Amino acid sequence: MTDAVRTHGLVKRYGSQVAVAGVDLVVPAGSFAGLVGPNGAGKTTTLSMITALLRPDGGHAEVDGFHVWRDPVAVKARIGVLPEGLRLFERLSGRELLLYNGMLRGIPKADVEQRAGELLDVMDLTGAADKLVVDYSTGMRKKIGLAAALLHNPSVLFLDEPFEGVDPVSANTLTEVLRRFTASGSTVIFSSHVMDLVERLCDWVSVMSAGHIVAQGPLAEVRGGRSLNQAFLDLVGGTPHDREAGLSWLGARPEDAR
Amino acid sequence: MSTVLLFARLKVRLLAGNLRGDAQRKLGFVLTLVIAAGLAALGFLLMSLLRLAPGDIAASLVTLAFASFFFGWMIVPLLAFGLDDTLDPAKLSLFPLRTGRLAVGMFTASVTGVWPLATLVVTGGALVAVASGPGGVLIGVPAVLLQFASCVVASRLVTTSLSGALRTRRGRDLLAVSALALVLLAQLPNLLMNRGFSDPTALLHQMAAVLRWTPPGLAAHALADGGLTGLAELALLALLVVVLGWLWVKALSRALVTPDSSTQAASVRRGSGLVGRFLPDGPLAAVVTKELAYIRRDPRFRVGWASAIVVTLILSFTVSDPGRGGGGQWTPIVISCVGALMIALQSGNAFGIDGRSLWMNAVAFGSERDLSTDLAGRHLAGTLVAAPLITVLAVTTGLLTGHPTMILPAMTAGWGVLGIGFGVGSVTSVILPYTVPDRMNAFTGAAPGQGGLAFLSALGASAGMALLLAPLVAGLLLGLVWVCAVAPFYGLLAEVLGRRLGAKLGFARMPDLLAAVSKPT
Repeated sequence: MTDAVRTHGLVKRYGSQVAVAGVDLVVPAGSFAGLVGPNGAGKTTTLSMITALLRPDGGHAEVDGFHVWRDPVAVKARIGVLPEGLRLFERLSGRELLLYNGMLRGIPKADVEQRAGELLDVMDLTGAADKLVVDYSTGMRKKIGLAAALLHNPSVLFLDEPFEGVDPVSANTLTEVLRRFTASGSTVIFSSHVMDLVERLCDWVSVMSAGHIVAQGPLAEVRGGRSLNQAFLDLVGGTPHDREAGLSWLGARPEDAR
Repeated sequence: MSTVLLFARLKVRLLAGNLRGDAQRKLGFVLTLVIAAGLAALGFLLMSLLRLAPGDIAASLVTLAFASFFFGWMIVPLLAFGLDDTLDPAKLSLFPLRTGRLAVGMFTASVTGVWPLATLVVTGGALVAVASGPGGVLIGVPAVLLQFASCVVASRLVTTSLSGALRTRRGRDLLAVSALALVLLAQLPNLLMNRGFSDPTALLHQMAAVLRWTPPGLAAHALADGGLTGLAELALLALLVVVLGWLWVKALSRALVTPDSSTQAASVRRGSGLVGRFLPDGPLAAVVTKELAYIRRDPRFRVGWASAIVVTLILSFTVSDPGRGGGGQWTPIVISCVGALMIALQSGNAFGIDGRSLWMNAVAFGSERDLSTDLAGRHLAGTLVAAPLITVLAVTTGLLTGHPTMILPAMTAGWGVLGIGFGVGSVTSVILPYTVPDRMNAFTGAAPGQGGLAFLSALGASAGMALLLAPLVAGLLLGLVWVCAVAPFYGLLAEVLGRRLGAKLGFARMPDLLAAVSKPT
């Protein structure tokens, strides 16, 4: 079985700052993979480079065995993307956005209409389908973004913080759809820093810290008997016990001194 | 005093922080500095040259100048240039600042900057122009300062009291389009002058008389009169500034606690499918449909199109003035070409309005061909709106000027110019892309720090179009009307070649293009 995603020494610098310092990410096909790491670890930059939205300064990436920068047609037909933030065509309605997306990829209009209708239905967006995206809430935007990413039936789905700012009901809808998607043998890769969610959903975890992959493998292996949260803190060095000395004033009230 | 220093330093920090690490932004800022310094020097010079004019004319002109600064400060920050986009009172609302201190701080932040300084310098020019003797200067200095303060306070008052409306999408959309009315209004004196109110001096004095008791009028008169009257006028002006300031503080404390008014989302009509009926199913139809929806719905598009039409109308109204014999037989051709040019200039940064959503195209486009299709769709949508407009323009100017034989040449020439504009625009769109901010100021060229880039892009587009237009113009100058018949084909050729070149260059640098149009605004 080939890997859905494999990168070799991906590097990205912004001026003197190194955002991604040689990342070798591996995600087996058919897995529900979580890319976790503290803020600024380089998760978004890595995902942008794999999805050809950002040119790497070094290294290369492969999706389903196709080179991202040398074979863009094959790669772009296979991937679905939901980037960070909520960047969508704001002045289209949800339905128009899906139609635009599908037709841009050359899918016949009748098929796009049918798929869009079903996706809107599953995402519980039928009532808002003809409202402009600019008036959507965060959860609705994430859902319509996911619908747009799924529309052309990709084999690998990249989601950057798909659950950030999403209410529990919408989050449940999103996970249901994603579970169905991976059950059919497709791959999902999503970045997050909500460990509980990753632990619940994923069977494969890659941990990033300061531009490097510090651990990678099946969930049980990375976890090693601990909770994922503890394993994560151990890996990225976030245990705070020796930092408490400088905060003696915190919580102290003036009236206590009297 | 510490508040003043603190906020001045904060503003300078913000300005400096905006520039860090980005050569383009630095370049843009330098360009802004040069332009502001140039305008300040020029304005100061022009103002001081009024010294040579007769006293009453100088006084009236100073009144007019002061009034235009005053109203300019009220209106321009709402619409354009992001004069003070760094300090939103809402950002400071969580700090334990009393409203008074906050107001002092915001005032300081507003006057710290390039454009306020330029305004102050130009206003100072009035001292040279009309103040007489040491007594005049003694009254003049506070008059200039008060005039400047009234500009800033009035400007803040207007923005703050409108901020509630500006936070809703509908409010912003409306404001963006209503800005057009102002453009029309600004043209009014010009048109009046053209229309036979032939005594400019009388008109000048009339306008100055109307403005006599407004804050800028008071300041100007205090400067020119001097003496006790001047002092009284200054006192009145100071009182007015304080009242404006007090109103502003009130508006500020209200704006800070008034929540975002939610937007009532309305449904849009489902597409009529007209495009789908005439175009083959596929990416081209998708782009045309999306682009037509954007032209209808996005305020930046609406303003762009409407201002192109309005400017052309004003021009045709001025040129084809029946009072002057209706213009020559070439007038219809010139007008329709200018109209086409105005419309085509909008395509010089085709991806700018897509902005951060352009990734959706980027992840779908696997080849140059896809990008070329995208550009073709944009051009086709533009043509669907522009071609009928140009036709109407050609017919009306042809009839109004009394040269109906020129209607057909004017029409075809206009179409040709449109094609040339699209061709050049495809190339500038990918070479010099910049972010068009999605804010209320739909007139703004670019995101903070990209102003210079926007300027370069417009310059490049104009130069390219001028170059490609040269053969047509040369033909017309020689009196060869038949070049108009060739123009549409020439335009089509320019569009196809420009689009190919743009797609080739653009596909290779797609990530850079994406980054350039996704700047924070």
